[in-house]
Amino acid sequence: MGHTSLEKIIALQKNPANIRNLCILAHVDHGKTTLADCLVASNGIISSRLAGKLRYLDSREDEQVRGITMKSSAISLHYRNGDQEYLLNLIDSPGHVDFSSEVSTAVRLCDGAIVVVDAVEGVCPQTQAVLRQAWLENIRPVLVINKIDRLIMELKLTSQEAYTHLQKILEQVNAITGTLFTSKVLEERAEKEKEEEKESETLSGDQVFDWSAGLEEVDDSHLYFSPEQGNVVFASAIDGWGFSIQQFAHIYSQRMGIKAEVLLKTLWGDFYLNAKAKKIMKGAQAKGKKPLFVQFVLDNIWSLYDAVVTRRDKEKVEKVVASLGIKVMARDLRHSDPKVLLSAICSQWLPVSQAVLSMVCEKLPSPLDMASERAEKLMSVGARRFDSLPAQTQKLKTAFLQCSSEDNAPVIVFVSKMFAVDTKALPKYKPRPLTQEEIVQRRELARQRHADRMAADQTAAESHKELAHSESMSQESQPTNCEIYCFYFTSQVHSFSHLCQVPEGCSASDCVFEVPHLSCCSMESIYLLMGRELEDLEEVPAGNVLGIGGLEECVLKSATLSTTPACPPFTPLNFEATPIVRVAVEPKHPSEMPKLVRGMRLLNQADPCAEVLIQETGEHVLVTAGEVHLQRCLDDLRDRFAKIEISASKPIIPFRETVVRPPKVDMVNEELGKQQKVAIIHQVSHQVISQVMDGLVTLTTPNRLATVCVRAIPLPQEVTQLLESNSEVIRTLEQINMSLREGKSLDISLRTLEAIAGLKDQLDSLLQGRKWRNAVERIWAFGPRRYGPNILLNNVDSYQRPSVWQCLGRGDKTVEAGAQAAVLRDFDNSIISGFLLATLSGPMCEEPLMGVCFCVERWDVQSSAPAQHQESFEEDSMSHKALADNKVERSSETSAQEEGMASGLGQAERRPEPASDCYGPVSGQLIAAMKEACRHAFQAQPQRLMAAMYTCEIMATAEVLGRVYGVLGKREGRVLHEEMKEGTDMFIIKAVLPVAESFGFADEIRKRTSGLASPQLVFSHWEVISSDPYWVPTTEEEYLHFGEKADSANQALKYMNAVRRRKGLYVEEKIVEHAEKQRTLSKNK
Amino acid sequence: MSIFTPTNQIRLTNVAVVRMKKGGKRFEIACYKNKVMSWRSGAEKDLDEVLQTNSVFVNVSKGQVAKKDDLTKAFGTDDLTEICKQILAKGELQVSDKERQSQLETMFRDIATIVAEKCVNPDTKRPYTVSLIERAMKDIHYSVKANKSTKQQALEVIRQLKETMEIQRAHMRLRLVLPAKEGKRLKEKLKPLLQVVESEDFDEELEMVCLVDPGCFREIDELIRCETKGRGSLEVLSLKDVEEGDEKL
Repeated sequence: MGHTSLEKIIALQKNPANIRNLCILAHVDHGKTTLADCLVASNGIISSRLAGKLRYLDSREDEQVRGITMKSSAISLHYRNGDQEYLLNLIDSPGHVDFSSEVSTAVRLCDGAIVVVDAVEGVCPQTQAVLRQAWLENIRPVLVINKIDRLIMELKLTSQEAYTHLQKILEQVNAITGTLFTSKVLEERAEKEKEEEKESETLSGDQVFDWSAGLEEVDDSHLYFSPEQGNVVFASAIDGWGFSIQQFAHIYSQRMGIKAEVLLKTLWGDFYLNAKAKKIMKGAQAKGKKPLFVQFVLDNIWSLYDAVVTRRDKEKVEKVVASLGIKVMARDLRHSDPKVLLSAICSQWLPVSQAVLSMVCEKLPSPLDMASERAEKLMSVGARRFDSLPAQTQKLKTAFLQCSSEDNAPVIVFVSKMFAVDTKALPKYKPRPLTQEEIVQRRELARQRHADRMAADQTAAESHKELAHSESMSQESQPTNCEIYCFYFTSQVHSFSHLCQVPEGCSASDCVFEVPHLSCCSMESIYLLMGRELEDLEEVPAGNVLGIGGLEECVLKSATLSTTPACPPFTPLNFEATPIVRVAVEPKHPSEMPKLVRGMRLLNQADPCAEVLIQETGEHVLVTAGEVHLQRCLDDLRDRFAKIEISASKPIIPFRETVVRPPKVDMVNEELGKQQKVAIIHQVSHQVISQVMDGLVTLTTPNRLATVCVRAIPLPQEVTQLLESNSEVIRTLEQINMSLREGKSLDISLRTLEAIAGLKDQLDSLLQGRKWRNAVERIWAFGPRRYGPNILLNNVDSYQRPSVWQCLGRGDKTVEAGAQAAVLRDFDNSIISGFLLATLSGPMCEEPLMGVCFCVERWDVQSSAPAQHQESFEEDSMSHKALADNKVERSSETSAQEEGMASGLGQAERRPEPASDCYGPVSGQLIAAMKEACRHAFQAQPQRLMAAMYTCEIMATAEVLGRVYGVLGKREGRVLHEEMKEGTDMFIIKAVLPVAESFGFADEIRKRTSGLASPQLVFSHWEVISSDPYWVPTTEEEYLHFGEKADSANQALKYMNAVRRRKGLYVEEKIVEHAEKQRTLSKNK
Repeated sequence: MSIFTPTNQIRLTNVAVVRMKKGGKRFEIACYKNKVMSWRSGAEKDLDEVLQTNSVFVNVSKGQVAKKDDLTKAFGTDDLTEICKQILAKGELQVSDKERQSQLETMFRDIATIVAEKCVNPDTKRPYTVSLIERAMKDIHYSVKANKSTKQQALEVIRQLKETMEIQRAHMRLRLVLPAKEGKRLKEKLKPLLQVVESEDFDEELEMVCLVDPGCFREIDELIRCETKGRGSLEVLSLKDVEEGDEKL
C-alpha cells in the first residue's frame, strides 16, 4: 500500500462516521508498539520488513535504548475496508506502571481501545489497570491476544494445549471485566440502598429486604470478549500475522459449504466436526475430539511454523505457498533466517493490520455514536448530576453526539496533554533546500559580512529554539456543533481562532455567568500528528485528534477549550498512579538556578503526572510516579527544558524536637528509683547557669543585670495538634495584638473574633489540671515565628502584661494595658525574641521545637549597677514586689515628666551605657540569655525527636499481602488496618510510615510485589519517636540487656546524627573506631 | 655508639605524641593516632584505646622514660594514669590527618549551613539549600581556615559568593520609632542604610517599618540611640524576611 497523502487524510477527516479514535493499551512488553508498527507499515509509512523492529512511535532516544515506551504518541492512518474508507487516529500508550498517567490522557481522547495481552504471560497487573481505566472512561475495548508464536516456538505447546491456554487467558480477561462490572453494580446498589434506608426510616413500617445482589437484573453479556462476537484477534505482531474468527469462517464456509454464520458461532468453543455426517456437533472435550478452532485454525498455523521454522522443509513450504495462493519473493525464500520467510508468508496470508483494523472499524464506535452516558460523565464534574447542569450546557450534549462540522456549532476542544516539540520537527522550520540564486548571493557576500550574518543567524536560531521549547501540543478535538437559539456556531477549528479556556474546578453554572473566570487563548497553528512528525493543517473538523501550537501560555497539563462559556470543564483525568517518588533537584552550577526554575515550570506543564514544588527550605522538589518516570523527567529537564547539568538527591527530611514527661520505668521495664536530679551549676563563658531540681533553669545576662528562670513542660498532644491546625488564627491574633500594642485599633471582623474565642475555649478545655491552672490567660507568646505549636507562659506573679487574648477582652483592660505598654515593650519583646529563637532551632539538631511550653517563673531586671559577684546575685536582684512597684511608679512618671524614660526599665535600653557596654545593649543580651535559658530548660527534660509521618494506602491483591507487610516492617512502618474491597480480591491496607524511610519505598514495594501493590503516600502528622537519642545503659539490667554500646537500633540517635552531620554540627563519634586497626606504616616506607 | 642505618632505625608508626611542659621539664606520652581529639571531645571513653602505654616519657622517640622524682615534683602524684590524663587534657599535640580532615569538613559544612541560613535568593526570597551552597563554595575554591570562627568565615563566603551567583543576605524587618523633632533629620541619615521602607507613619512620632541588611543593624541602632538621646526606639519585627510555605509551580 502506498503512502497516504495529506490531502486524503484531510478529506477523510470530514466524515466523522468513518473516523475511529483508538488507543492501544497493555501491560509493559506485551507488544503495543510492535502492533502499532504493523499498523503504521500498512500505510506505507515504514517498510513492512522493519515493522516490529523499528518501533516507529518510540521517537525518544531513551525509549529506543530502554526498549519501552515512555510517552503516548498519536498517528493518523488510513484504512480501506471494502468500499468504505476509514481514518484511524491511533494513539500508542506506554505500558510501564510509571507512565499510567499517559494512558489516562490517551484513553480520554479515544472512543475505543485495543487491549493487547501476551499469550504467554496472560493477564498482568497493568492489563488490569488499563481495563479499569477504559472502563472508567466508558470506552469500548477490543482484545488482541499477541505473541502466539511464542506458544509455538518457546513453550512448544501442541495446538490442542494452546487452545486451552488461550481459553484460559480469555477467561482471565473476562473475569476482570466481570469484577469491574459487579463492583459498579454493587456500588450503585449501595447508593440506592442508602437512599432507600432514608426512605424506610421515615416509613419504618413493613420492610422487605431484597437479598439479590442486583446482578441478575443487569445484562452484561455485551461487555465480554469472545471471538464469536468478533472482538478478539489472535496475532503475532512480530511475525506480522493475525486473524479473527470471521476470516477463517469466511474461508471455510466457501471451502466446505457450511454457512458462514454457523461457522462463526462454532469456530470458537466446544464444537467438533463430525466427518461422516459432515455436521458440527457439540461437546468436543467430552468426546475427546479436536475442537473446530484447533482443527481448522491452529493446526494450519502450527504446520506452517513446523514447515518453515522447525524443519525448514523447502518442498512443503512451496506447497503451502502455492495452496495459499500467495507469492513469495525468491530473496525471502533463500534467506538464511527462516523468520524472514515466515513473516513474508504470514504477512500476505493473514496480515495483522488487516485483521486488527477491520475489527476496529467494525466493533469500535465512531465519534458519532459515542455513548450518551459518556458525554454526560465527561461534562458533569464531581458529584454533580448531569440533570442539574444549566440548560445551555445540557444542550451541548446533543451537539456532542451529533459531531457534525457545520459552521455555526460551538467548538469544544479537550486538551489532554502538553508536549514539547523540537523546532526541527515543526513543519514551518523544516529545512528547505536553498535555491541556486541564494547560493550565489551568499557567495557574493564578503567574508566579514558573512561572519556577521552568521552570528545574527545564530541568535535568531536560538530564539527560535526557545520558542519551540515551549511549543505545546494538545490533542483531541471534540469540537461539536449544536443549535442554540437558532444561532449556528462553527465546529471547525481554524488556525488562529480564538477560544476560551474553561477553568477547571469551577462548575458549569459559574462559567455561564462569571466570564472573568475564563481566559482566552488563540491557536497559533493546528497540526496533524503523525508520530514523530507534524503536518500543518488549515482546519480540522469535529471528532478528530489534533495538535495545537502556542497554548503554552494558558494551559497547564490539561484543559477544556470552547467557544461557548456554557461548556463545562470536563471531568479531570483519573490517574491510576499518583506521584510519590520525591527528589530534590539542583543545578550543578548555582548560578544556573533561574534556568532550572524555568525548566521545571515547563516540565510541570508538559507532564501530566509530575509535580514540581519549591519548599520552604529552598529545595526544588520534583515528585514523579516512579523511578523510570523520574529518570525520564530528569532527562527531559537536562536535554530539553532547562539544558543544564542537574543533580538529583534525596530530599531533606524535616524533624521536630520536643520534650516528654519523665519516664517512670527504664528501658527494661524496671521501676526507676526516686532519683533526685542533683543541682548542676556550670559556667558557660560569662553566663551563669544554675539548674536546680525539677528542671528549673536560672540564667543571668553577662552584665549581671537581668535574670530569667525558665522551665520547660511538655504540652499535651491534643494541644499541639490544636495549635498546629489553628496556626492561621494565631497568626491573625498576633497581628491584632501587634497593632493594639501600638495603640492603633483595628477593625476585626466578627468571624475572626469568633475563631479566636473558639480557639481559646478549646485550649481552656484541653489544658486542665493543677499544673495548667489559669494557663490560657497567661500565654505570653507562640513560637516559632509567633504562630507555631509552642507556648511561652508568663508565670511571673508580679508581672502583669496584656494578655494575648486582649482583643477578646473588655475595653477597660486594654486601656489600662495601653498605659503600661510603652514601658513594657522593649524588654517584653526581648524575652519573646529569645523564646522565638529558641523554638526555631532546638539543641538536639537545630530543628524547630514542637509541643513545648516554656514557663518564665521569675524575671528580674536591674537598673544599671556595677557588675556583681555571682554568689550575691540572689540577694542583689531586686525582689519582684519592688520591681513591680517600680513599674507602676514609672508608668505614672512617664506621663508626668518627659525625661521619665531615662530611668528604670526604659532607661536600660535607650540610654547609652558606658559602664556595661562591652556586652552590647541589654535588650540584645536578654535575647541571648532567654534563648540559652530555654535551651537549657529544654535539655533538662527528657528530649525526644519527632518524625514526620506519611499515611500510606496500599492496594494489593491477597497473594502479595505478605510481601507488602515485609517491606512495611523493614521501613519501620506500622499497619493501622486492612480491609477487603467489596466485590474484588483487592485488599486496602492503611499504614503509617516515617518520611525518613520513604525514599525508594514505592519502588521497593512495586518490585517486591511485581507491581501488584501500589502505595499512595500523604503527609499526615508528626509522631514522637519513643526512643531517647541520648540513652545509655545505666542500670545493671539494662547493661545486661543492651550491652555496653547499645547502639544497635537507636532510631532517634541515627536520625539525629544524620541531621547533625548534614548541618555540619558536632557529632559525637570516633574518627577511628579501633586504634590498633589503623594502617601503621608511615607514608614514606 | 650506635650507627644509624636504614635497617636499624626504628620508626615510630601509628604514634601520636602529646607533649606538656610542667615544672620546667618536658613530658611526653605515646598515643594512637586520630584518637586524642576524640578523647578530648569525650567521644572516646576507653583510655586504653588512646594510650599506647601508660608510661610517661621524656622523649618518646628515644624511649626515655621520665623519672619518678620529676613526675612527683611536677604533678604532685606518681599515679601514671592520672598524669597521662592530665597530659592528654592539656598537652599540645600534632593534629593528625584524619582529625584535621574531619575537622575541616565539619567546619566547611558549618559555614555552608550558616550561609544558607542567612541568605536568600533575591529573586524568589527563598533560601538556598546547604548542598547548593557547598557546591558554590567549592566552585569558588574556598578554603577553610581552621583558626577562624565559622561565623566570620561565613560572612566572608557570602561576600565572595555574591560575585558568582544571585545571593543576598536575608533582610531584617525593623520598626523604627523616632520623635517628631529629629524625625526628618534622622530619616535623611538613615536612608542609605535602609533597603526597603515598607510603611511610614508620621503623626506625633515618625514610625517606619523597613527592611535592612543585617550588617547595618548595629549602625542603625547606634545612630538612633545617639541622635535621639534615647527617645527613639528600634524593634526587630523579624530576623529573616523569607517566603514561607511551599509553593507549587
